[in-house]
Amino acid sequence: MKTDQLIDMLSRGVEPADKPRWKRKLAITLLVGLVVGVLLVAIGLGVRPDIGAARMPVMWKTLFSAAAAVVILPLALQLMRPGRPLGWRMGAVAIFFALCALATIIALMGEMPERRWEAWMGGAAFPWCVVLIPVIAAPTAILLVWLMRAFAPTRLTMAGAAIGALSGGIGAMAYAMYCPTDSVAFVTTWYSLAIAVCAALGALIVSKFLRW
Amino acid sequence: MADEAELRALLLKGLAGDEAAHRAFLTEAAALLRAFFRNRLRSRPEDAEDLVQETLVALHTRRDSYDPSYPLTAWMYAIARYRLIDFLRRAGRRNHASLDGVDVGDVDPVYEATDAKHDIGVLLGQLPEKQRKAIQLVKLEEKSVRDAATETGLTESDIKISIHRGLKTLMRLMAGEGAS
Repeated sequence: MKTDQLIDMLSRGVEPADKPRWKRKLAITLLVGLVVGVLLVAIGLGVRPDIGAARMPVMWKTLFSAAAAVVILPLALQLMRPGRPLGWRMGAVAIFFALCALATIIALMGEMPERRWEAWMGGAAFPWCVVLIPVIAAPTAILLVWLMRAFAPTRLTMAGAAIGALSGGIGAMAYAMYCPTDSVAFVTTWYSLAIAVCAALGALIVSKFLRW
Repeated sequence: MADEAELRALLLKGLAGDEAAHRAFLTEAAALLRAFFRNRLRSRPEDAEDLVQETLVALHTRRDSYDPSYPLTAWMYAIARYRLIDFLRRAGRRNHASLDGVDVGDVDPVYEATDAKHDIGVLLGQLPEKQRKAIQLVKLEEKSVRDAATETGLTESDIKISIHRGLKTLMRLMAGEGAS
């Protein structure tokens, strides 16, 4: 078929395009991802037993994770569609994580030197959130891939990383219900690292599923 | 060739359902895309025309991803660049299949200008029945969506969805054909 014939075929009987309503679709996707993440935590890990007494720390950890997701969101929105500049949105993510590093240092300075290691590691031998948050984030990532495939991402590695990081933020929100460690330095370090792991996995794996 | 403002006006009219404007947009876009791909695939004009066609289908099926508050050419070339990268990745994967000894024959300049390697007519035949039928009736036989719905016993929105999905499948087939 010649290109002219193809153009005829494509334009024939063209209908007014639907409004894509991507903001609403994205909001629903993230909400469903969060609910699935919360269910995963509640069933797989169990809500921390002292959740009543620990309302405040659980809330601030959830808010921290939500803030990370909110900072990554504009970047993900740009990467969903072709030819849109990233500009300040990259800067916002960089500033957020720089502030995390700063908060970690300030929080650790405030501890007695002999307690610093414990505050940083949360008294655990290994910060399991780095493994668990990506697992909890996976359903959100799958939903986001499904959503983004309906649009037209053209920078697939970046888009995959953004999907990973965004679902990491959502996963961390859910994980906060279980997470037994409340020290500031622990959260700003290991939650951030968990989200970075999600971004890396997204760039490597998720991007493969975004081809269209 | 049309500039940014003209192209943008045509696409926006097309998005509102103006068939002539949409055709004009695709025609102008095809000329720009041909120049874009030929510059980058100097030695393979027929691959360039494949990519022009593939990208036209992409622009058409993904036209709702254009946001009027951003430049149109940035949107269009981002899609073109993406199709080119996807093409080169496919070509890289099959570069063990040598082109040596392939007789390309004499080049007819008119023929060369608008013909691609893949035959969309054949590719259409590979679509799922419902999608193929919907495209056949509305896009090739020029029937209205309503008539096509009556003829097939499907609803009008079913026809529209089948056309849209069918064109997306078609683009995948156009892209996949090079890989085989």
